[in-house]
Amino acid sequence: MAEALAKSDLLTKEQHAPAKAGLIFPRPTAKTGLVSWLTTVDHKRIGVLYATFAIFFFLVGGVEALLIRTQLLVPNNHFLGAHTYGEMFTMHGTTMIFLAVMPLNAAFFNLLVPLQIGARDVAFPRLNAFSLWVFAAGAIILNIGWLLPSGAPAAGWFGYAPLTSKLFTPDMSADLWTLGLQVLGVSSIAASLNFIVTIINMRAPGLTMMRLPVFTWMALFTSFLLVLAMPAIAIALVEVMFDRHFGTHFFEVSGGGQPILWQHLFWVFGHPEVYILILPPMGYISEILPTFSRKPLFGYPIVVFSGATIGFIGFGVWSHHMFTTGLGAVATAAFSLATMAIAVPTGVKIFNWIGTLWGGHLQMRTPMLFSLGFIWMFMLGGFSGIMHSAAPADAQQQDTYFIIAHFHYVLIGGATFALLAAIHFWFPKFFGRLVDETWGKISFWIIFAGFNGTFFPMHFLGLNGMPRRTWTYDAGMGWDGLNKFCTISAYVLGLGICIYFGTIIWSYFKGKKVGNDPWDGRTLEWSIPSPPPEYNFAAIPKVHARDAWWYEKHHQEEIRKEKAEAIAAESAHGGIHMPDASWFPLVAGVGMLVGGLGFAADHMPVAIGGLIVTFLGIYLWSLEGPGGYHIHLDKDGNATEDHSH
Amino acid sequence: MRLSALFRRLPRRWPAVLTAAALPLLTGALWQLDGPQSTFGAENSPLGPVAQRQLTLFYYTLVVTTVLFVLVGAVLAYATIKFKARNADDEHAEPPEQGHGNPFVELGLTIGSIICLVIIAVPTLSAIWYTYDVPGADTPAKLEEMVKAGKAYEITATGYQWWFKFQYPSERAFATATADARTGKRPEAEFVTANELVIPVGKPVHINLRTDDVIHSFWVPKLAGKVDMIPNRANHLWLQADVPGYYYGQCAEYCGDSHSVMKFRVIALEQKDFDTWLAKQKEPARAAAPIAPANTAPRAAAPLALRNPDDGKKSVPLAGTGDPVVEFKKWQDRQAPAAEDAAKLALISAGRRLFNDNKCSACHTVRGQEGVGVTAPDLTHIGSRSTIAAGLLENDEAHLHDWLADPDHWKPANKMFHGIGRTGKISMPGYIKPDDNGDPMMKDGQPVRNISLSDADVAALTAYLQSLK
Repeated sequence: MAEALAKSDLLTKEQHAPAKAGLIFPRPTAKTGLVSWLTTVDHKRIGVLYATFAIFFFLVGGVEALLIRTQLLVPNNHFLGAHTYGEMFTMHGTTMIFLAVMPLNAAFFNLLVPLQIGARDVAFPRLNAFSLWVFAAGAIILNIGWLLPSGAPAAGWFGYAPLTSKLFTPDMSADLWTLGLQVLGVSSIAASLNFIVTIINMRAPGLTMMRLPVFTWMALFTSFLLVLAMPAIAIALVEVMFDRHFGTHFFEVSGGGQPILWQHLFWVFGHPEVYILILPPMGYISEILPTFSRKPLFGYPIVVFSGATIGFIGFGVWSHHMFTTGLGAVATAAFSLATMAIAVPTGVKIFNWIGTLWGGHLQMRTPMLFSLGFIWMFMLGGFSGIMHSAAPADAQQQDTYFIIAHFHYVLIGGATFALLAAIHFWFPKFFGRLVDETWGKISFWIIFAGFNGTFFPMHFLGLNGMPRRTWTYDAGMGWDGLNKFCTISAYVLGLGICIYFGTIIWSYFKGKKVGNDPWDGRTLEWSIPSPPPEYNFAAIPKVHARDAWWYEKHHQEEIRKEKAEAIAAESAHGGIHMPDASWFPLVAGVGMLVGGLGFAADHMPVAIGGLIVTFLGIYLWSLEGPGGYHIHLDKDGNATEDHSH
Repeated sequence: MRLSALFRRLPRRWPAVLTAAALPLLTGALWQLDGPQSTFGAENSPLGPVAQRQLTLFYYTLVVTTVLFVLVGAVLAYATIKFKARNADDEHAEPPEQGHGNPFVELGLTIGSIICLVIIAVPTLSAIWYTYDVPGADTPAKLEEMVKAGKAYEITATGYQWWFKFQYPSERAFATATADARTGKRPEAEFVTANELVIPVGKPVHINLRTDDVIHSFWVPKLAGKVDMIPNRANHLWLQADVPGYYYGQCAEYCGDSHSVMKFRVIALEQKDFDTWLAKQKEPARAAAPIAPANTAPRAAAPLALRNPDDGKKSVPLAGTGDPVVEFKKWQDRQAPAAEDAAKLALISAGRRLFNDNKCSACHTVRGQEGVGVTAPDLTHIGSRSTIAAGLLENDEAHLHDWLADPDHWKPANKMFHGIGRTGKISMPGYIKPDDNGDPMMKDGQPVRNISLSDADVAALTAYLQSLK
């Protein structure tokens, strides 16, 4: 280890390029205040910002959902207009997927991946900040329609051509949607490349791939899925943009365009997207269940391998979203079978989670309740998913409330329950305080009851023939009672979510203070103080086993010696190297925002101006050099910074 | 802190908790799945063979997944209860054995799940081929042969924003009531209806699915699952009704603002009744009264009396009772013209003139009379249909009046109100005048009217349309 450090170029002082003089923005050195947050490259701060934005949009999407449910409270309701209703379900879907669940997962990638692999930051800290600000730009572009005369996008989160064409959506709402998603795609791809490089290259010594925590594995698979799936929708969005602005005929029916092409491109992205949403939650669950069962994950290699299998088969099942588009019997059969096949690795994960519980000492903390809730709800969602793989039966269920029930079981009962478990579980790590257990449990039971009350009856609404995206329905259809029940339950679910986040906010100020390892954790993030110092690890850990921190706790003597050696070696070579903050990721992100809005409004000078700002930001960012400074730790762990180069 | 004590006890009461989780399951049992669009059969509206096959497959998947759910759920519940730490000592006990899994258990469970999937896969594959097209009609030529031999029937359904057009390729209608003097034959026209598809029972019906604008989806739950109508793509489905009856259908793919009110009906008749219906529908529109001479007197400008649907009548169905048997009876009763006295005839005549004066005929066809339009539903026999506005409202005087008075309220963004063509120039203006961008031209916060109808006008138009049986 010491030898490896000595050889590392990155740690020798002479190699640092001096910061260039004459740049518009010199490297900021603020550690507190607004500027420090705007220019931060610290993965933990970026993670917190991602989480804050994501939770904000999660609540916005939730309000949209409650408005939708209010409109459906009684038959023939005119609480919302038909167009407003279209905006609501379009933005509810788009927001929850792209602006809530994805960035919340990204927040946890940021917060946890470097800590779990024993690294001091991600591979490209400024690129990480860039991903964050570009995400914010995309979120603003998507939502700004609410404030404009065009209104918010209203062609559905799936944006099927030719409804998005100039002929059927003449205003700029469709442009805001295409540009917003396009910009979010840039953010996702940049972040994914960053995490792939980080996970593969920056693992601590001894942390072989088959010792990686399962969450980090899932982050890796998700990143690969994003890098491979995002280009499909990027191309499709470019085609829509060209059709709308430059008169091309990709989907333009009068010019011989093929609207079905959009569906293929969209779902080649859209189905892996489902796994992009659900694989990280499977990762949280695979960390939380072993911790509160006090034993390792059952069948670790199988869980990892089934994650890879899901990611792989996930690219071969997209047309099960299109069983009703007249694929022909052979293609329908092929996608039916592939869809059944993907249920096997998913089922295997559930068996392994149950195997993890088996023989453990289960501690029923709030994250454990959410995790067990996840298994139950995800099972229900998974089984209704298997039912859809039978294509002829799906021909009846497709685009009905049965489907809505199915995917909310996967995305709320699955992904969201896991995210709520994860927030509760890792909150003490990053804020040094426990989330209140009593109110956490109360919120769990209210959410659990509200969620099931909202979505379970939707199975029956679907079987009773209620189609999706229904602005209003007639009284004679037999749907009144269940809709009323669903709406009231949705308010209960909303109440539970309010209690949950209210508890989180209360705990931020008043929660019980805890040390580094409140749950008797198993992975490396629990080995360092809460909240972690900016350099994460005083000594880069050496990993001897899966569940590295569990091993350390049971081999303390050996580890203490190792750590002392590592610290000595590192300080002999200049101390802990830290990256400098930078303005340019933010500048590039602002450029994306201006450019995106310019394109959407068909205002070329602004559009090109925005692009120039983006490129200028990236160019100057490459000019300012890697920068960096050193932190020296004394015997008591007090840090001093050394900004000399 | 009594509440916290309660919640500390709660996780120990798993049976109670499981019951709570099962409550939503029970909610399903409280409501019967007997709506007019239920995918389950009911005594008063049994399923067609395609829908029946789909339902059988649904039950297959339901049984297999329920058995799996119960098995896995039982193990999960058992593990949760059995291995739960029961007290502080349990929580602080030495950790259990740090086992990493058992490959034989994994392999067994994986193979087990694959077997379960095969149980679903076999009937799925056979149903895919069965539901794909009319049995025996593997190629277009074979289908044509079957249609010619009377073993199958063919329909072309086209989706429009927001209504359905139905063409009968093997039938021809009469364009006029009388024979052409020169040829001695009655000129023919295409046979087209809208929003109510009438088919013969006991015969497979092959339906070609087309669209005029965006993607729609053709779905009659009791007869067959949906297939989309996609631009530049020739889709089809087949269905069959084994008993005469009245079946509900709806567009199932989001197609714009009024997607949720884009509905239709399928009416299945015995072959004999179907032939009678065909013969009657092939005739041009019934002329109850000649067109009225232009009335030069100023028209009464009585304000429109619109029934407010949000006004305490929320639970009143807009399109009939929702009971297929009742609706079928009503549909049959509608086929014969009602008695019309002199006053009514005058009203019908005035309505016919208004229909012309307001250029309704530019978009609508009333075969044998004035209309030639093809961009809106054919109204030749509108009076004999049970619904108007694409299955949205019951076809009675009150609803027809409401619909004509304020179509945008019932079907937001509809073309009758807003005109056809939205970018650049409106090619056919509707009730309101468009501006240069195709948006409604506004004055004092109100759209400028292109067509202004008084209450009396609407009454006359209603009488005219009702007379077209």
